[in-house]
Amino acid sequence: MSTAFYWSIAGTAAGLVLVGLWGILTRKHILRIALAFTLADTGVNLLLVWSGYLPGRTAPIVDGTISASGITSAVVDPLPQAMVLTSIVIGVAVAALFVVVGVLASRRTGSADVRRMKELRW
Amino acid sequence: MTETLMTVIVVTFGGMMITAAIAVLFVRDLLSAIIITGFVSLSASVMFLLMDAPDVAITEASIGAVLATMIFLWGRGKIGGDG
Amino acid sequence: MIRTLTGLIIVLVLGAVAAAVIPEMQMREELQGVGYSYVSRGMDDTGSSNLVTAVIVAYRGLDTLGEVVVLFCASTAVVLILTLYPIGIKASEPSRVVAFTAKVLPAPILLFGVYFIAHSHISPGGGFPGGTVIASVFLLVMLGSSSVPDGRGRLPAIESLAGLSFGLLGFWGIMTVGQFLNNAFLGTGTPGTIVSGGLIPLISIAIGAKVASEFSGVFKAFRNTGGTV
Repeated sequence: MSTAFYWSIAGTAAGLVLVGLWGILTRKHILRIALAFTLADTGVNLLLVWSGYLPGRTAPIVDGTISASGITSAVVDPLPQAMVLTSIVIGVAVAALFVVVGVLASRRTGSADVRRMKELRW
Repeated sequence: MTETLMTVIVVTFGGMMITAAIAVLFVRDLLSAIIITGFVSLSASVMFLLMDAPDVAITEASIGAVLATMIFLWGRGKIGGDG
Repeated sequence: MIRTLTGLIIVLVLGAVAAAVIPEMQMREELQGVGYSYVSRGMDDTGSSNLVTAVIVAYRGLDTLGEVVVLFCASTAVVLILTLYPIGIKASEPSRVVAFTAKVLPAPILLFGVYFIAHSHISPGGGFPGGTVIASVFLLVMLGSSSVPDGRGRLPAIESLAGLSFGLLGFWGIMTVGQFLNNAFLGTGTPGTIVSGGLIPLISIAIGAKVASEFSGVFKAFRNTGGTV
């Protein structure tokens, strides 16, 4: 039963990444691309946390129920969680930059359609 | 919480998240797309909680569902138009 | 049409790669490598009950410092772009519901954010979520008032002070025990109590203040340039 739990999370994460990537490749409205970027970001974060998940254990926070000697067999891996925690904050800052640049580009070209933003090409 | 219940929750939320992600790309109204993205982030926070990552769940809930949504709403107000 | 099809093909190929690779990541039964040593030694090394915070602030403190710099660059770029190219739509009046909510809710949410930061070493939380919660308080207050903030304010000062204190706390370790961002030279205390974890509470406060002031600055720039947010 635990394997269904485990693999359905991985499937969801991979699916989010793929849908987000598809949106980045095919959508035309710049904000819609930013939204797809956020979706892919969420999927990557889910996949990273999933890679540190060990079934049947508890969160890496020591309280009275965990003895100091048996801690290595009682908690999940804290390292991917720490990485993802910073990654989420960076992700939203980058999304804010994305939106601001997109707004300015759409002001300049008069349209939010990325096909008309020729200044952004090289 | 039993494992069966956790599996049911994860499968339900996973299905909803994938469906919502596809809906973000195809729904006509940009406002709806932004709100649906916030829903995906909130569901991801539930998944983080079930994967024993409470720190990440708190961060995702406060950032993905509030700050990111507000940033996108601001951008929608500035650009306007659907597509 | 051709665009959609090309994108679909690329994504399907990548999906096939993912479907081939992800099942190779076998379900682990035991902690390995770095994660094992962080978990087994974390409590003794840092005195922090929350091992995630121990990894972020103590073991990978230098990475976090660099990450805060990335955040600083992104928020500075947003504020700079919006200052150089003002967009200029007038802010609208808040509705009565929003105005009332903005009077009632800020105090409890602010308390929640401060709790996150202050208890980052003994319960879930930390500088990053606490800082964003405080920034959302700022956002709520701003949404509830009809006035637009002017360009002045102490946000840049708070931001600089927080970043500076993070660096100085690191150098304090060099001065005393010869190691940058050493956590334990103050003593680690009893894990689980509020005064424990060496430098972790202090650095959490610095990170929280920095994140809160950066996101508040971004939203202030959004509001300044006009619009409903």
